[in-house]
Formats: sequence, C-alpha cells, structure tokens
Amino acid sequence: MSVKKKILLIDDDKDFLFATKLILEKGGYEVFLAEDGKRGVEMWKSVSPDLAIIDMMMETWGEGFEVLKKIRATDTGKNTPLFMLSAVDLQGPYQSFEPPPEFPKVDRVLQKPVKADDLLGYIASALGK
Amino acid sequence: MMKTQKPLILIIDDEEPLRDGCRQALEKSGYTVLTAGEGVEGIKIARENKPDIAFVDLKMPGISGMEIIEILSKDIPDIVLIMITGYATILSAVEAIQKGAYDYLPKPFSPDQLRTVARRGLDHRNLKIETRRLREEKERMEKSFITFVSHEMRSPLVVIRQYIESLKAIAGDRFGKDVSDIIERCSIRVQSLEELIEHWLDFSRIENGTFAQKKEPLRLSDVTSRSTEEMMPVCKGKGIFLEVNVPENLFQIIGDEESLVRVFINIIGNATKYTPEGGKISVSAQNSEYYVTVDISDTGVGIPQDKLPFIFEPFFRAGGKEERHRGSGLGLTFCKKIMDSHGGEIDVTSKEGEGTTFILKFPVPHPRAEKLSEAPA
Repeated sequence: MSVKKKILLIDDDKDFLFATKLILEKGGYEVFLAEDGKRGVEMWKSVSPDLAIIDMMMETWGEGFEVLKKIRATDTGKNTPLFMLSAVDLQGPYQSFEPPPEFPKVDRVLQKPVKADDLLGYIASALGK
Repeated sequence: MMKTQKPLILIIDDEEPLRDGCRQALEKSGYTVLTAGEGVEGIKIARENKPDIAFVDLKMPGISGMEIIEILSKDIPDIVLIMITGYATILSAVEAIQKGAYDYLPKPFSPDQLRTVARRGLDHRNLKIETRRLREEKERMEKSFITFVSHEMRSPLVVIRQYIESLKAIAGDRFGKDVSDIIERCSIRVQSLEELIEHWLDFSRIENGTFAQKKEPLRLSDVTSRSTEEMMPVCKGKGIFLEVNVPENLFQIIGDEESLVRVFINIIGNATKYTPEGGKISVSAQNSEYYVTVDISDTGVGIPQDKLPFIFEPFFRAGGKEERHRGSGLGLTFCKKIMDSHGGEIDVTSKEGEGTTFILKFPVPHPRAEKLSEAPA
C-alpha cells in the first residue's frame, strides 16, 4: 500500500476543520489541522504536506494571505499546490478580488462550503493522481 | 488625534506692546506663543505651525484682519480664530464670525480676559475635534458592521453545510432515501437562509451607499453570457431548456457589469423556481433607438394580475404564505434598485399558466453617435 498523501488544513473555525477533515480522510488522505496562521506555518515546516488549504479570513482579514506568503517563501512551499478558502465569493460582484501581480501563486480559490466531490476532485487533480 | 503638548497660540497684531503683553500673560498659563506684526507674516507662520488658536487684530496696515480670518479658517482645519478689535461694533463682530471667527475680544482687555477667551476657544476646539473623531468612528463602524455581521451570520451556516457535506461523504452510502431526503431539505433551508443574508447585505449596502457600482462602458452580451453560463447547470438540473438569443452588435451601455450579472442571475434564478420540468426560459435582446432591451421569459406558472404591481416590493411573495419556492423576498427589489441606478427600467408581464416575461430597458448613451459608429464604413 502506498503512503497516504498529507494535507494541511489551516482555518480558525474548529468545526470547519473537523467537517473538512472527515471529507479528506474519506478521500484517503492523512490530514493535519492548524487553528491559526502561526501554527499553520509551523506545521507546514514540520509536516511537509503535499498540499495545504488555507482560510483567507481568520483572526483578521487577509491573515491567510500572510500565511500563504510565508509558506511560498519556504523551500518546500515553492511548488506545492496551495488552495485558498473563503466564506465570501472572492470573485463575485462585490468582492472582485484581484491579487496584485507580486502575489504568490494560488492553485485554486474555493468558496465555503465546499462540496465533498468537488474538493476531492480538485485535490486529486492538483496532486496529479 | 488630540495634542498632548502645550497649546500653541498665534497673535497677529501690529502693536508690539500688545503682542508682548499677550505673550507674557499666555505663557504664564502654560501656552506656547508665536507672534506676527502683520498679516502676510502671520498667515505664513500659521501655515507652518498650525496653531490651535490665532488672535487676529482687525485693524492693521496691509492685509486686514477680516481677510486673515477668512484665509486661515479655510487653510487650517480646526484652528480657532479670535478677533481683537478696538472698534467692537456688533456689525464687525457678526462679519468676523461669518468669515469663520469663533469669538472676539474688545480692546482694551486684561490678562484675565485674554486667558478666559483663550481657554474657551481651546475647549471649543477640543470639542470640535472630538465630535468629528466620534462621527468618523461611527461611520466607519456602520460600514464595516454590515460586512462583519454578514460574515458572523454566514459562518455558522457555512459550517452546517460543510457538516452536511461531510455527513454525505462519510456515510451517504448507508442512508436510505428517507434519510437522504431529510438531509437534502436541511441543506436547502440553510442555503436559503444564506441567500437571505446575502440579499439583505446587498440591500443594506445600497441603502447606506457602500454598494460600489462602476460606471463603465459595457456590452450587455457579456452580461447575458456570464449570467446564462452560471445558470446553465441549474436549468439542466431541473430539466429546463435555457435559450439565449442575444446579438453581438448591441449598443454599449454605461454601468456596472458585476451588479448587472447579479440582476440577470436573480431573474433567471426566479424563473427556474417557477418553471416546471420540460419548460423553457429564453433570454433575448435587441437595440432600439434609445434603449437596449433585454427580455427574460419563462413558460412557468405565471403571476396573478392583481399581484403584478407589487412584485418589486421588499418581502412581497406572489404565491402567498403557502409558496413552495421560498426565496429571500428581496431579489426583485434588489434588481429594481440596480436598474434604477442605471437609469433603466424593469417591467413585467405575465399570464397565469402560460409564463412570465421580465423586460429590462437600458438607456443608450448618445444614441446618434453610437449609431454612426455602428454604420458600415
């Protein structure tokens, strides 16, 4: 049996972490949870996950962006798929979020709640399964 | 922000003994004092040092006290201007106050009188600054409050739906049809509560003016293709045929593409709720001399004639209490407001049992010029 792929989930909502963990485990992944940005970056370094999913709006608006920058700045973070999560529709009519050109690469922006099949599908294709 | 250092007072007067007297009296009370012997110098010092208070002599050679007051009250925010005058007439006092002075001090005056007037001026200034700070704080809170509240209200609903998703993922294969149905109903009700919050948010933003809309030239065919693309899966899922007949050569209009996409999605979404399986929704558009008109028709249940005049009212439901398809009750009101802000019109015709048509009319800016540019070379 092959080794399970590792996914790091960073979100300050414990329930969201738990609910999403169930889906990811069902999908056959090993899941690591971080409840804030700081811990998320630490776990990124200690766990070396194959993919991370980061909530944009944690303690403050944009905390997720900081986390993303820090992770992208690490050696292992350069080419690993990173997903962003948001409860608001980032590209919707009122939030039309345009990342600045220097903004680190995001592989996918997901809007909460995420459908189980969609989530597993996006992860599978990002990991090249 | 309030200053914590010593209050700064500027005296503009051509009489040197008076300037020195004022300086001594005020410095004794802990003020920092600057002086100027005439207007131009006084204005220069004021602009550089932004004093809290300026005492300005009314009668001076060169630029008059009245003019200085007028200039300083415009140039230096929150400065308290006090007129010094040897000819204290009601008229000159009134004029000075009209020009922006707060108070006046008739000559001759005692050091105590001077200090009292300075004290009063300073209190006035602090009060003014504090009032403005509070007002700004209040406005800021009002604006972010809506975003904050909607986030706080939506978060638990998002989590509930995520739990429902995980429930289906981990145990869906063990549920019978009855359990699956209940879960699906929960999900739908939570979703409609989310929609209500979303619409309420849009609505509040329109009401308090934080709903930012662009005014840019745009192509309605982009709006219709974006919104029909978005609604296509919903229509497919319900077995409704979505027909789009929008020519590319529609006149450009001026407006906000994002909110118009929202309007179209709203109306098409409504149509999907009232159109039975096998029905059709069609979106068509055409140019006329002053308008671009978009029709969105469905072959749904229709709206009773007596209800038609009210459907753009907030929380009005054509189907009454028993209505199965509960929306937020704000969707069409939102559409109407957006159309109003575009200088457009939204109208509806309907026949029970046959269907409903929404007609959206957008004004064409400079119809003649547009036509010329469209003409073949």
